[in-house]
Amino acid sequence: MSGEYIDFSINGAEIHVLQRTTVLDAAIEYGICIPHLCHMKGILPMGACRLCIVEMVSGNRSRITASCTLEAKPGMKVLTHTPQLMAARKIIAELLVAEAPNSRAIQDIAVKCGVQEVRVPFHNAECVQCGRCVRVCDEMWNSHSLGFVGRAKERHLDLPFHSRPPTCHRCWTCSDVCPMKAPPCAGPMARGEEYLCGKCASVLSMSERFPEACVQCSLGEGFQCERMRA
Amino acid sequence: MAVLASPTALREFAAAKRNEMGAYEQVIYVCGGTGCQASSCLAVIEALRQELASQGLEDKVKVTVTGCHGFCEQGPLMIINPGNILYCKLKAEAVAGIVTRTLRNGEIIEEYCYTDLATGQKVVHESEVPFYKAQDRTVLGMNKLIDCASIEEYISYGGYTALATALTRMAPQEIIGRVKEAGLRGRGGAGFPTGIKWEQARAVPAETRYVICNADEGDPGAYMDRSVLEGNPHRVIEGMAIGAFATGASQGIIYVRKEYPLAVVNARVAIEQAKSLGLLGENILGSGFSFGIRIVRGGGAFICGESSALMASVMGKVGEPRAKDVHAIERGLYDQPTVLNNVETWANVPLIIKHGAEWFASKGTGQSKGTKIFALTGAVKNTGLVEVEMGTPLKDIIFGIGGGAPDGKKIKAVQTGGPSGGCLPVEKFDLPVDFEALTAAGSMVGSGGMIVMDETTCMVDVARYFLRFLQDESCGKCSVCRLGIDRMLEIVEDITGGRGREEQIAVLEDIASAMSIGSLCALGKTAPNPVLSTLKYFRHEYDAHIQEHRCPAGVCRPLISFSIDSEKCTSCGVCARECPGRAISGSRQEPYRIDATLCSKCGICRDACRFGAVAVA
Repeated sequence: MSGEYIDFSINGAEIHVLQRTTVLDAAIEYGICIPHLCHMKGILPMGACRLCIVEMVSGNRSRITASCTLEAKPGMKVLTHTPQLMAARKIIAELLVAEAPNSRAIQDIAVKCGVQEVRVPFHNAECVQCGRCVRVCDEMWNSHSLGFVGRAKERHLDLPFHSRPPTCHRCWTCSDVCPMKAPPCAGPMARGEEYLCGKCASVLSMSERFPEACVQCSLGEGFQCERMRA
Repeated sequence: MAVLASPTALREFAAAKRNEMGAYEQVIYVCGGTGCQASSCLAVIEALRQELASQGLEDKVKVTVTGCHGFCEQGPLMIINPGNILYCKLKAEAVAGIVTRTLRNGEIIEEYCYTDLATGQKVVHESEVPFYKAQDRTVLGMNKLIDCASIEEYISYGGYTALATALTRMAPQEIIGRVKEAGLRGRGGAGFPTGIKWEQARAVPAETRYVICNADEGDPGAYMDRSVLEGNPHRVIEGMAIGAFATGASQGIIYVRKEYPLAVVNARVAIEQAKSLGLLGENILGSGFSFGIRIVRGGGAFICGESSALMASVMGKVGEPRAKDVHAIERGLYDQPTVLNNVETWANVPLIIKHGAEWFASKGTGQSKGTKIFALTGAVKNTGLVEVEMGTPLKDIIFGIGGGAPDGKKIKAVQTGGPSGGCLPVEKFDLPVDFEALTAAGSMVGSGGMIVMDETTCMVDVARYFLRFLQDESCGKCSVCRLGIDRMLEIVEDITGGRGREEQIAVLEDIASAMSIGSLCALGKTAPNPVLSTLKYFRHEYDAHIQEHRCPAGVCRPLISFSIDSEKCTSCGVCARECPGRAISGSRQEPYRIDATLCSKCGICRDACRFGAVAVA
């Protein structure tokens, strides 16, 4: 990667980053809060959770795409918090939290995206298929011990032929990066007793007032927001 | 076979073949497409060959086994030339009579002629069948004339002359210019201008470029790509070779699904034949241009019709789409510039080169040029492949070519564009079929599927059906599509199951809008269409299910009940005999009645009753 910098804009703010940086990484670096779940810094983006969608404007045309897979280009104009994007993000977060409520990370994301009510039945799934474990295992350790099997409803995480392969070093990075590793603050929820945590209502008011600004909140601390980790 | 080293050699070859074929007095074209094979056309062909041999007519009568004619419900089909006589629904036993009476004596056997369903009249000549008459068979037309396993016949009808023209008399930019001028747009559904795609791919510097033919027709209701590739594979190969020359590609791939075994075989045979004549391979027609095609078979996943998933599949990876911020024309297959077009798009290319851009642009509407093939199915009298000029009103296709609903029922809607297309009500049948008009109305051209529905179809159930299909076929990579379809199906099943609540409609709409803007690929973006379009045009049916606990079409089982109208019942007892649940009791003396606790609402009694005495409410 060459050391050249490029300039583009997010919500009108001028952004100056190394070329080939993704829009999401640039936003995080600049303290612009785009909620995200499947993204991990330094690991190839997958574009699976769709939370980080942004609008890219060029001339009088615009396109909505995930910011984790979008490479910043000179002169690009990106909007991250239009009403349309925020509405869609809220629904995506609602779908995620309804699918897998037993995760502090996902509950936090739901709060950050303004979900106040879950209108579909909870499923309490153990995996949201963000693919963080698979990609960490592939790219960081070159171990390829985990993967997705099947399509659609049947798609699930599995070991090759259901058993731990010799390539697995038992490093457990897979479980370290899993959004399901930490249960909600009040502890794990039993099946049939799921709820929208909403414990972070104080943070919610901040994120409602300044949705695009990083307010150094404690949401997803040590997990999905790399800025907090840095 | 000797390699054709120049356009002159190709012309001479064609002339020689035309002479050879002219030696026959009569030609019988028998459809050998998948549809007719399903109705045993192979037995008819075998019997015909034997009969001709036994009557000593082998040298005078030529039997040509062609590709699909598109009128599959009338199959097996046979056209006899000269005379343009069409015989349909043939059986092997009919062959002896046809050879003796029609071939020898020139007599027309009415029994085998097509019956016009509108008038009840017999139609003798193929060109006069209403189903064919209103069509513009630009792409499909050759299917009925040529033996799909014979490159000689394709060449004798002027095949590969467009390639010869392109290679020897046109510069690549000139070809691209002509395709752009013609206004050809992708027939796969998205309608991206083909010429612009080619131009952009050509502009990207690269050592290797690829062209791909997308024959992964995933819509279960559409089969025009299969029929074109099966019936006229050389047209597709010729189109790909022209496209490759124009874009600077050296390798081509035909990605065809394994469920199309005949298309795979025919395409493979065609590639071998083209290679042996030097129309594929090194230094084609002495022009210095080299191009090869290989076949990659897909496993049959709907998602692999999406370009980036298709390319992943070709490379041996899991068939899942990727973000398309970098287009395939820049970095596609093996990270090289790749031009991917649909079968029908490729098949249009030789015609544009041959007849010119003006000819092509003279057909169609402002933005959508040329013709488009649709697979007309469902509640119409004539079903099959229909090729019409872009911009033809829906009603002309459905009521004109399709002949309207059978059994005097009322047509209610048409579903266009495949599983992720939308449903349009009969009031919208004035709409012209082109890319813009259908999209604006909430549906799309998409795969070209066209399913006509009558009053016995429940639109909520239709939405449920397509969501179910999409739930199975979504790759599951991106959360909005996977979870969104799941939840929408959950809600729609609540509604069809009688558990629907008013506020769920808003949730449906919310999920749909998030999916349409947030999904990774076009499958997820268009997946809400079946729900959105039925909500838009048939909201009253949703309301009837939710508020009145009633299914107006009498389809959703939890919401309907069967009863016997004693006025109409003749006490014949057929319903009671047919009922699998023994829920119907009665006798000659006692009127028949249905025990609701035993009734599984299968509807067999209704179908069995000849007096219309079984009522659904």
